Amino acid sequence: MTPEAEQMAAHIRDLIRKPGISIDENTPLVSSGLIDSMSLVDLLLKLEDLTHKRIPAGKVQPKDMDSVAKMFATADRVGRPRK
Amino acid sequence: MLPYVNLIDALETAPADRPFITVWVDEDDHETITFGQFRRAAHAQAAAFAQRGILEKDRVVLIMPQGIAAMTAFAGAMMLGAVPAFLAYPNFKVEPAKYRSGLAGVTANLSAKAVVIDEGFPGELLECVSLTTETKLLRAASQIPSAGDLPNATPEMRPESLAFIQHSAGTTGLQKGVALTHAAVLRQLGYLGAALEIDSGSDRVYSWLPLYHDMGLIAAFMLPMVCQVPVVMQSPLDWVMQPEAMLQVVSEYKCTLAWMPNFAFQFVPRRTPQSRWGDYDLSSLRALINCSEPVRASSMREFQKAFGIREGVMQSSYAMAENVFAVTQSEMQRGPVTIWADPQQFRAAHRIATVAQSTNGAVSFTSSGRLLPNQRVRILSDSGGPLADAFVGEIAIQSDCLFEGYYNRRDLTQRAIVEGWYRTGDLGFMLNGELYVVGRKKDLLIIGGENIYPQDIEEIVSAHPAIHDGRVVAMGVYNPNLGTEEAVVVAEVEQEELLSDAVRLEQEIRTRVVAGLGIAVRTVFLKPPKWIVKSTAGKPARSSTREKLLREHPELHADAGEITSA
Repeated sequence: MTPEAEQMAAHIRDLIRKPGISIDENTPLVSSGLIDSMSLVDLLLKLEDLTHKRIPAGKVQPKDMDSVAKMFATADRVGRPRK
Repeated sequence: MLPYVNLIDALETAPADRPFITVWVDEDDHETITFGQFRRAAHAQAAAFAQRGILEKDRVVLIMPQGIAAMTAFAGAMMLGAVPAFLAYPNFKVEPAKYRSGLAGVTANLSAKAVVIDEGFPGELLECVSLTTETKLLRAASQIPSAGDLPNATPEMRPESLAFIQHSAGTTGLQKGVALTHAAVLRQLGYLGAALEIDSGSDRVYSWLPLYHDMGLIAAFMLPMVCQVPVVMQSPLDWVMQPEAMLQVVSEYKCTLAWMPNFAFQFVPRRTPQSRWGDYDLSSLRALINCSEPVRASSMREFQKAFGIREGVMQSSYAMAENVFAVTQSEMQRGPVTIWADPQQFRAAHRIATVAQSTNGAVSFTSSGRLLPNQRVRILSDSGGPLADAFVGEIAIQSDCLFEGYYNRRDLTQRAIVEGWYRTGDLGFMLNGELYVVGRKKDLLIIGGENIYPQDIEEIVSAHPAIHDGRVVAMGVYNPNLGTEEAVVVAEVEQEELLSDAVRLEQEIRTRVVAGLGIAVRTVFLKPPKWIVKSTAGKPARSSTREKLLREHPELHADAGEITSA
């Protein structure tokens, strides 16, 4: 994992606060019930911070945020440089 | 009263150049359609349906992403006298097999003539649209022109003709298709429009609500269509990913009316950086209505303070699909009433004795407003007798907007409507002409404004091989940080030794519930055999099991009150 992906995984562990669960780059988050859709906005804001990009939320679906790897791929796909 | 015979009359007479629906995705991506354009597109859609054999009274199930195409298809079906019903678009979390069984059940129950999907309907789910020989699969495709003529022989739609069917969520909820006539919907919109003092020249609705839910369908589609008021919409998915966009849209379009479930009043300010709260101007809002979850004054205050909403704008309503929508509405410019009550009297005698706010332990209740015209409420005791004001009991309603029954389900209808009164399953009381909703008698969970039946969750968890079949209880536990309930599951394992593998099992159960229902369970409690409290009939007793769980897990108890202490 890149340092940014590591930071995102650590952020998710803090968010879900379920002991014994390990989060790697490909752990399903939304489709496994670890993250509910109301938490996705937190992850999107964190992703913007970590990638230094602006990510238009209207172009992002929950399935694009289902794992750490997918989040960074989404940022590459739809992210725009910060103004 | 509204001067229309049916809902389509209202659409046909709307000013052609007035904006009707704006679908807002983000600042670079939004689309507006006028009443005239919408009408032409709906005519074309009706013509396309007619060509494919759709006739008067045929049920048409629409499974399309929220947007203009779905809404013109709905109106187009109504123009033919057919009876449309929106179903939730499949989300990626839900397993194809579960989706198939839900959809098969609803199309069979409605004996639907057609299921309409969009071009982007996920290929892997196509096989799940299992159809009987009588049901056609139609693609609401781009080949349907955006304008066209109505077929020549459209039927006369009388007030008592069925207009559409609305459902509540989940497999269990899909068995309950609430069938509504044009007359019932028009009466409701007439009362609601008058109570809200709607002015078609100056009002504009904002909404992110799903159209398969009564609040979205009635408040954000039928009301704007019939009262000829513009509406600016986001899809629920877009909103949940960017709740702050609500502030941007209301500011930019100067929206005046919006409905939201209680949790959204906390979710929007908490997910918008405080440094940006002052960037938005929500002064155009004249009613922001808390509806479809128990109303909590603290949630409304949080929103009001964050964005400087003036007094009298925060409103509340008690509504349900079975009554088309609203039973009560708080008074404009005044808003709901908040009272404080003696905690002992409330808990022990189920009676409301009002006390000063500063009284130690006083419990606070916020009203859902006053009855709309021709709505009657009775508060019933456990034995079914009517109770006086200030006593807490089950809310039963009677009105001239009430549904006639669940479509094709006489059995469910008979249980719901007793001697002409619809038993809502909600607990509440009347005081000084205001209705207060306290909680629920039925075991329904309300998560983010959506009804979830515990039986649907329990069935999925029971099917796990490590879980003792039938020894599962699902319940809603209020989370004050979210302003809504969360699902909590307690389940017995087959053998005590399995508890050593609890982390893995809990995760498997969570995954199965998401795959089946699309909802995330907050906590799964695995317990040894014989832990769950049984009723005399040998079935899990929900309320006793809930009490036992809260006793053993006080960390849940802190959040579990149905009401807030002052």
